[in-house]
Amino acid sequence: MTDVVDEFFAELADRGREPLLERVTGSLRFELSDGGKTDRWFVEVEKGDVSVSRKSLAADCTLRAERKLFAGMVRGEVNAMAAVLRGALSVEGDLEHLLLFQRIFPGPPGARGPRRGRGRQKGRR
Amino acid sequence: MNDGLVKILDGNTFVVSDERGDIEASLTDPTGLFSFDTRFLSRWVLTLNGQRLNPLSVDDLQYFETRFFLVPGTGTVYIDAKLSVIRRRAVGNGFHEELTILNHDEKPVNLTIRAEAGSDFADLFEVKDALEKKGRYSTRVDDGKLLLGYVRDTFERATVVSASEPARVTRNGLSFRVQIEPHGEWTTDLDVAAVLPGLPGARGRPKYGRGSRRARPNMSESLEQWVEEAPRVECDWDSLRTTYRRSLVDLAALRFSPPVARGQSLPAAGLPWFMTMFGRDSIFTSLQALPFTPALAATTLRALGEWQGSRVDDFRDEDPGRILHEMRYGEMAAFEERPHSPYYGCADATPLYVVLLDEYERWTGDTKLVRELEFEARAALAWIDDYADLLGNGYIWYQRRNEETGLENQCWKDSWDSISYRDGRLPGFPRATCELQGYAYDAKVRGARLARIAWKDPELADRLESEAAALKRRFNRDFWVEDGGYFALALDTEGNQVDCLASNNGHLLWSGIVDKSKAASVASHLLGRRLFSGWGVRTLAEGEGRYNPIGYHVGTVWPFDNSFIAWGLRRYGFKDEAAQIAAGILDAAEFFDGRLPEAFGGYERILTKYPVQYPTACSPQAWSTGAPLLLLRTMLGLEPQGDHLVVDPALPQTLGHLEVLDIPGRWGRMDAFGRGRVQVESRRAHARRR
Repeated sequence: MTDVVDEFFAELADRGREPLLERVTGSLRFELSDGGKTDRWFVEVEKGDVSVSRKSLAADCTLRAERKLFAGMVRGEVNAMAAVLRGALSVEGDLEHLLLFQRIFPGPPGARGPRRGRGRQKGRR
Repeated sequence: MNDGLVKILDGNTFVVSDERGDIEASLTDPTGLFSFDTRFLSRWVLTLNGQRLNPLSVDDLQYFETRFFLVPGTGTVYIDAKLSVIRRRAVGNGFHEELTILNHDEKPVNLTIRAEAGSDFADLFEVKDALEKKGRYSTRVDDGKLLLGYVRDTFERATVVSASEPARVTRNGLSFRVQIEPHGEWTTDLDVAAVLPGLPGARGRPKYGRGSRRARPNMSESLEQWVEEAPRVECDWDSLRTTYRRSLVDLAALRFSPPVARGQSLPAAGLPWFMTMFGRDSIFTSLQALPFTPALAATTLRALGEWQGSRVDDFRDEDPGRILHEMRYGEMAAFEERPHSPYYGCADATPLYVVLLDEYERWTGDTKLVRELEFEARAALAWIDDYADLLGNGYIWYQRRNEETGLENQCWKDSWDSISYRDGRLPGFPRATCELQGYAYDAKVRGARLARIAWKDPELADRLESEAAALKRRFNRDFWVEDGGYFALALDTEGNQVDCLASNNGHLLWSGIVDKSKAASVASHLLGRRLFSGWGVRTLAEGEGRYNPIGYHVGTVWPFDNSFIAWGLRRYGFKDEAAQIAAGILDAAEFFDGRLPEAFGGYERILTKYPVQYPTACSPQAWSTGAPLLLLRTMLGLEPQGDHLVVDPALPQTLGHLEVLDIPGRWGRMDAFGRGRVQVESRRAHARRR
């Protein structure tokens, strides 16, 4: 049975190239625990070219969290950097990699964004 | 220190204590050992035989190190003191304290020495707002060490206190029973470590040990190297040399190495409460310091680029491409009780990011960085049109989406009453303040240059240039106050002018958005009776409804503001006017021993004779520290042109000569030289002003 986390990594692998990760060259290892079970993903990025595997290799940045929390990040419900500050997402190695990687997580569902008003305007474009 | 508090720091770790070196903080009292925006010690009290100590003197050795000379007793007469106590403290990942007690008597002395320790693990925000804690405290003694802990869910912070000499360790502190021989001494090391599990870059033990005397900054350069590598300033005005030296040393103390910057540093906003990344402050300070320490700009650009917004998040006022306002690491940011992880609610840092990138390249020739940050710079340019134009009429507008803890005013004048009409009314939201449009214009013009020289995208360059030209036309039509001859402070949502006369006009000159035909009128206002106090340009003109000479953004004089106004005046050829502002601000610096405050009163200079400091908890402040550097640039008329540095001096006559030697840039190193010729009002020349 696949869940949102499996889908996230599968989609990332399918994309192959991710413009938001153009600045990244390096590897990230994700260790996501669920009860007694820990799943691992190994993501390598070369200037935006992404490959995903289940290899157990040392990475520039290792991330550990509960799978449930990571699922929240993938859905945009959990902010990755706040999770780091809380100690809910632990980072070993280069924080910079996480900082750049988390750009691909979506924003909170239902965010309004800037409201475009229609003010009465003297100014014209 | 005039508030009786002693402050030392290292990056974002700092200690604020009384003159004895003691800490006795209440929740609202801003003393203690702080690191990553959390208080790790709220109690640290030294006693000898149950008695508190009395301060004789405090030596500020370096910004990270201090020494307290103390004697027992609480009276005012020290003559009979047979004991002296020296606490030498160095801050870094907590602090290291060398405690030495000297017996001056001919008899041995028996002492119980006690260091009481405790922590409330308050978040900086809690200290400001007096809020209650939600987690659990723990205290235990383990292996001769005192462990103070705080846990809330997955959030953990701990303080470990230990000593080099045998101590009796209890849950309240450490005590030592010793006998000191006649004319003998006793000493111990006390180590206080701040522990932040899970946060990379936060180490678990104090950085300094016994005998460590040399600065080991969290960054690649020591203070000595830093000062050594900066250009030299020579002139016949002692105060200016002092001010320059003070600026360099303070800027060194203000260097902050965020966890992602790999040991490189950028300017934090101010000491000690604002030792963190602020988009606006870090960018403005980097711009001011470019001719002197260009490496700060590079780190600022990289770090702010890495933290750039990438999604729409209302709580953080985040949008794709937006440059952050403020980053915090404490408990309230961690649990999203405050939005600072990071918070994005500012409307100027994003266009200014592109301005800094271009100015940096013009000075250094580092096109590699411009290419490296192409994605971020394009995203910043796109933000101006896609997310900031809230009314769809081609201007930057701001309105917070986080109405609970977000910022109302997202421009540099961010206090509640800073933006008003002449009659004192406040406009509604969103607001389009004038200087934001100037920054947007400048960002587009400079972005176009970068697109041509580094990104090989002439199409983008053409588009940005035509957008900039259209914005300039629109702006000069919509913001120009006909009956005043200046630009309105803002537009309101109805398209009406928020018609106060304010210092923002100087920033408009700096950005280049002002039509040439209007510049002389703007300049005469800036140096005119209503705005110019004799020391500098007031934030708001005398005669406006909300004008108050000691109002934070409604009448005080800000050195940072003035340095950019002087740059703006130079840009439009008003050399003498720029020299007048430089003379006034640098004169004021003399009254503060070279350390310019954040702001001082807008009183007439002839009235007070000295600048009245605005009371503030934050000193030194980065962009005040940077102001004299930018004024040196404007006085000498330093301007990169291709691979050359153009020097076009216009110095106030109070300065006989001025040399700035070894200015780094794409030309290698160059010297600049000038002689004072411009008649100015100053301490030594009290000419009447118009």
